[in-house]
Amino acid sequence: MTRSHRVMHRLIWPALALIVALGFTLALVKRPPPDPPPAAEQKPAEQRS
Amino acid sequence: MSVGFRAVQWNRDKLIYDAILIAAVAVFLTAFTLIYWRLHPPKSTADAIDIWIRATGTAAFLMLTVILSIGPLARLSLRFLPLLYNRRHFGVLTFLVAATHAWLMVEWFMELNAVPDLIAEMTNMESYGKFIGFPFKALGLAALLVLFLMAATSHDFWLAFLRPPVWKALHMALYIAYGLVVMHVALGIMQYERTLLIPLMLILGFGIVAGLHVITGSRGLHIERGVALTPEGWIAAGPPLSIPDKAARIVAAPGGERIAVFRDGNEVGAVTNLCAHQNGPLGEGRIIDGCITCPWHGYQYRLADGCAPPPFTERLATYRVRLRDGIIEVDPRPLPPGTPAAIKIA
Repeated sequence: MTRSHRVMHRLIWPALALIVALGFTLALVKRPPPDPPPAAEQKPAEQRS
Repeated sequence: MSVGFRAVQWNRDKLIYDAILIAAVAVFLTAFTLIYWRLHPPKSTADAIDIWIRATGTAAFLMLTVILSIGPLARLSLRFLPLLYNRRHFGVLTFLVAATHAWLMVEWFMELNAVPDLIAEMTNMESYGKFIGFPFKALGLAALLVLFLMAATSHDFWLAFLRPPVWKALHMALYIAYGLVVMHVALGIMQYERTLLIPLMLILGFGIVAGLHVITGSRGLHIERGVALTPEGWIAAGPPLSIPDKAARIVAAPGGERIAVFRDGNEVGAVTNLCAHQNGPLGEGRIIDGCITCPWHGYQYRLADGCAPPPFTERLATYRVRLRDGIIEVDPRPLPPGTPAAIKIA
């Protein structure tokens, strides 16, 4: 690899790692809560009947 | 090595490499589909397509992870060099698996008569301003376009046409594509699937690839920092016998470019560290059959003058060397490619 490619490598990977780590963490923390279990969904239907 | 262009220069090693590669991908896709099918039996054709979408997506991510690990692993240990030899076929196959993943996704929407939903999702400009809710398929599509560009320009014709420095710079876009793929999964399936396997796969995959690249990137820094020049501006490479026989010591010129100082018995010569093929690190190769042999793809050059043996025509820049006070010294000003410059030592 030429010197400029080595320099590019040394700059790209730490920057990419930082951006992806930040994006991944945000995506993990901010994901919506799981769907309620099916039993809880049936309750209003039972009440309606 | 080649004296002309052919679509693919098949040989026994490449055929074995490709056969193992295709078999491994087929086994993975089959195993993934069978296991998932058993755990979550599909109730419709769309469900079945969904399983294949997951299988091809996982395969493409893992293949990309392996491809990006091969380069730094080969720098850390010569045992991984055979994997590097035919990496371009690995890359083309990864593009094909990723393209199948995208095609199956379109097929899934067609099966549900919901293609307008797909178009609406991709063209809703408002959602591009959100983080959660960002059209993650656009990230996958962008990564797929990069993979297509890499696969389309992987042939040696494009390497020769663009020249190695431009070609290498272009192919670094694969790193960005990998980041896009990680975010495609993180903002896509990871948002509505609660399994731990998906975050674990992303953390391990990206962590290994990024870690390997950061480690190998910092490894060669001492070579560039430790430039020892004589008063006349020559580089001291050390006593002749400190250079391993049929191998090289890499030294850095004042500008930072590297020079490989090889010793073959009592002959010492210096050539650029850049292979004429793909700028591979010649100084990490060995002298085989009397020729400097690039560790990446086996391109060969004579130590005496940096020329590839006939009928090949590649030539390397050489450097003047001399033995002074028991130390091999190298003039960091390159000679025209193919200039004889090696010396015999007592």
